[in-house]
Amino acid sequence: MPRILLADADAFFVAVARSVDPEGAGKSALLIVGGRPGSRGVVCSASYETRAFGVRSAMSIAQALRLCPDAMCVPVPRQACSDASRAIRRVLERFTPVVEGASIDEWYLDLGGTEALYHHESLDVTARKIREAVKTETGLSLSIGGGSNKLIAKLAAERAKPSRSPAAGGVWIVDEGSEPAFMNDVTLAEIPGIGPKLQERLRGVGLVTVRETLAHEMPTLERWVGPKTAAWLHGRVRGMSATAVEYRDRSRQISREETFGKDIADASKLVSELRYLAAKAAGDLRAAGLAARTITVKLRTNDFETHSAGRTLPDPVESDRGVAEPAVALLEKLRAKHRAPARLVGVSLSNLTSYRVTEQLTMFEAPAVEGVVPERERDRDLSRAVDRVREKFGDDAIRTGPPRRVPIGEKGAKKPRSS
Amino acid sequence: MRFTISREKLQEGLAAVASAVPSKTTLPVLANLLVQTTEKGIRISGTDLDIAVSTEVIADVEAAGAITIPARKLSEIARELPPAPVKISAAGDQRITLECGRSKFKLLGLPKSEFPSFPAVKFEKALRIPSGDLQKLISHTAFAASTEESRPILNGVLWELRPEHMRMVATNGHRLAKMDVPVKTASGPSSDLIIPPKALEQIRRLFPAEEELEVAQGENHLGFRSPFTAVYTRLIEGPYPSYDQVIPRDNDKYAIIDKVALTGALKRMSVVASDQTHRIRLSFNSGMLKFSVSTPDLGEAQDELPVRYNGDPLDIGFNAAYLLEILRYLPTEEIRLTFKAPERAATIEPEGWSDSAKYLCLLMPLRLVD
Repeated sequence: MPRILLADADAFFVAVARSVDPEGAGKSALLIVGGRPGSRGVVCSASYETRAFGVRSAMSIAQALRLCPDAMCVPVPRQACSDASRAIRRVLERFTPVVEGASIDEWYLDLGGTEALYHHESLDVTARKIREAVKTETGLSLSIGGGSNKLIAKLAAERAKPSRSPAAGGVWIVDEGSEPAFMNDVTLAEIPGIGPKLQERLRGVGLVTVRETLAHEMPTLERWVGPKTAAWLHGRVRGMSATAVEYRDRSRQISREETFGKDIADASKLVSELRYLAAKAAGDLRAAGLAARTITVKLRTNDFETHSAGRTLPDPVESDRGVAEPAVALLEKLRAKHRAPARLVGVSLSNLTSYRVTEQLTMFEAPAVEGVVPERERDRDLSRAVDRVREKFGDDAIRTGPPRRVPIGEKGAKKPRSS
Repeated sequence: MRFTISREKLQEGLAAVASAVPSKTTLPVLANLLVQTTEKGIRISGTDLDIAVSTEVIADVEAAGAITIPARKLSEIARELPPAPVKISAAGDQRITLECGRSKFKLLGLPKSEFPSFPAVKFEKALRIPSGDLQKLISHTAFAASTEESRPILNGVLWELRPEHMRMVATNGHRLAKMDVPVKTASGPSSDLIIPPKALEQIRRLFPAEEELEVAQGENHLGFRSPFTAVYTRLIEGPYPSYDQVIPRDNDKYAIIDKVALTGALKRMSVVASDQTHRIRLSFNSGMLKFSVSTPDLGEAQDELPVRYNGDPLDIGFNAAYLLEILRYLPTEEIRLTFKAPERAATIEPEGWSDSAKYLCLLMPLRLVD
């Protein structure tokens, strides 16, 4: 039988924020991570105690503070979070080579074939050992769910959470054969992939729980939600999921965005903000040894509407200019339709490939497409040279002009938020 | 409309036009063939709106007319028919009856008025070009055209017509193929045409080498015609990139290599080359060409080949798939490669080719990063 685990770090951002600031955040039961009070960030994570007040992630900090005025708000300790995430992963990799990072604080582990290694002990015993090792070495708690596939493991991990079942000790394993009984207690909203829209549709035909859904045959489900969704749902409510755990440590998207302290109405100022973020994202891309073909720009206007526009380029790009030029063109496209002052702007790079494809030399320089001159060899050379300077002298040692906010070399340049 | 045709003539006509019929289309009539009676027989036509092909085959016409018939069904029926004359008749605009021996079929067609009209190309001022020359140009260059959608102009093959010669060039920006053939009979004014390779493939396939073709240009189209068959194609609008500037004139190193031996070594090295870049390293030294490939997570390979090489030692990287593809089209046993530097264009030409045509391929290297 396949032995799949999902390890989920408990209140990850909160736990890390506490560990970097033991005297402040570490002592505050009511803790919100996402931004300082008065900032315009959103809640990234909140302690279990504040969640009791109704604070949820993705809520604006201001709204969270209205619900829970006594809470302490701290920005996301990004570097510490990625360090902690890597530290956890390193421990997990000692138990099995097949570790798939699902997000910064969630990992799937495939322990198939390790039975003899762990002396045929039950998956529950191994999971507890993993949990113990991570706690001892990183100080962070995991909730671990286990079962015969990723879906079961994910649902079991929810059951393992201390907030849900304090007696479980952070581990919940669904034994082979008991999947139907386990699924019977699951609500549809818990199943990954059943989002608010589908939940609403299913509620319309009287389906809220898995048990209710199981009472209906395929033809009935097809009539309600269409054949494709019905086939998928039919499998999901029976706890079926065929996707394998894949070793993956590579992000599928690199993005940078910034919520402004004050809304920006000035077009040129917004463009320079975007250029700055695009260069940051391009730097992340090169640091990971990648190039991107798809560029997406996000614009949130002061009416809280979020708009985005994306483009897939003929060839992958990696240089600051190669990323920034199409991003600026996309922003202009968005601004043509949505003229309200901007609250947030962001750029995300996807469709990532290893940049070795650019080793093929070409005869002609590609012509401009929709007014954007494609990335040239000299752009890549320039960006690599800038990277080398920054590596040696620090991020602020070299910048593209005109100066953004803080003169070169001065401390306190506001760092954009990466996501 | 009513006519009788031999099974073979029907199959011949259908085979000529069938490949112009699109396999998927949003315009239902394009899945049909237009069948019209003529003085000598029938004319069958098909089009996907980019390319149109029409051919005339001998038939015994009893009543003149025209109708469109579902192309795939008609071809499938023709393939299965017994060896007997085929009688085809149409009643009204849509109903078609096909009889052959004791077999009888009824098919639903579409009115001929729905079939798109062919591009307006005036053959009065047509150029006359030997089909064999055209075949030679097409079969040596069209392979190099790009299939990427990002630069539509490179999806076409450039056909340059000059008073003294004509030339075809195709490239995807990484490799290029160029061939010139002399023009025997003085033709019309110079012109540059960019043609989709799919149309050129039809031209190469449909016209026998010994025929002389009439070629004429319409507004956005080009027509090719022989006494029985005509091909029309949409032209791609230029300008074509100035390929002449990238053809190196100062390559000072050259190697003469046996094509079969080189192909064998490249194929062996390709096994271990990266699936993405197909990168192999060629090291030229006097008298010896060394091949090496090293792919992370896969392995390494080396090979050697005695060659005639003239110049300073050179290490250069290539996409083996590109190089192998070019070798397939080179007509001679030995080939000549020329170089300047590891990151400059290399040329590949036939060595000792006694032909009036001139053939040159160009290949951009892969950067060697260690």
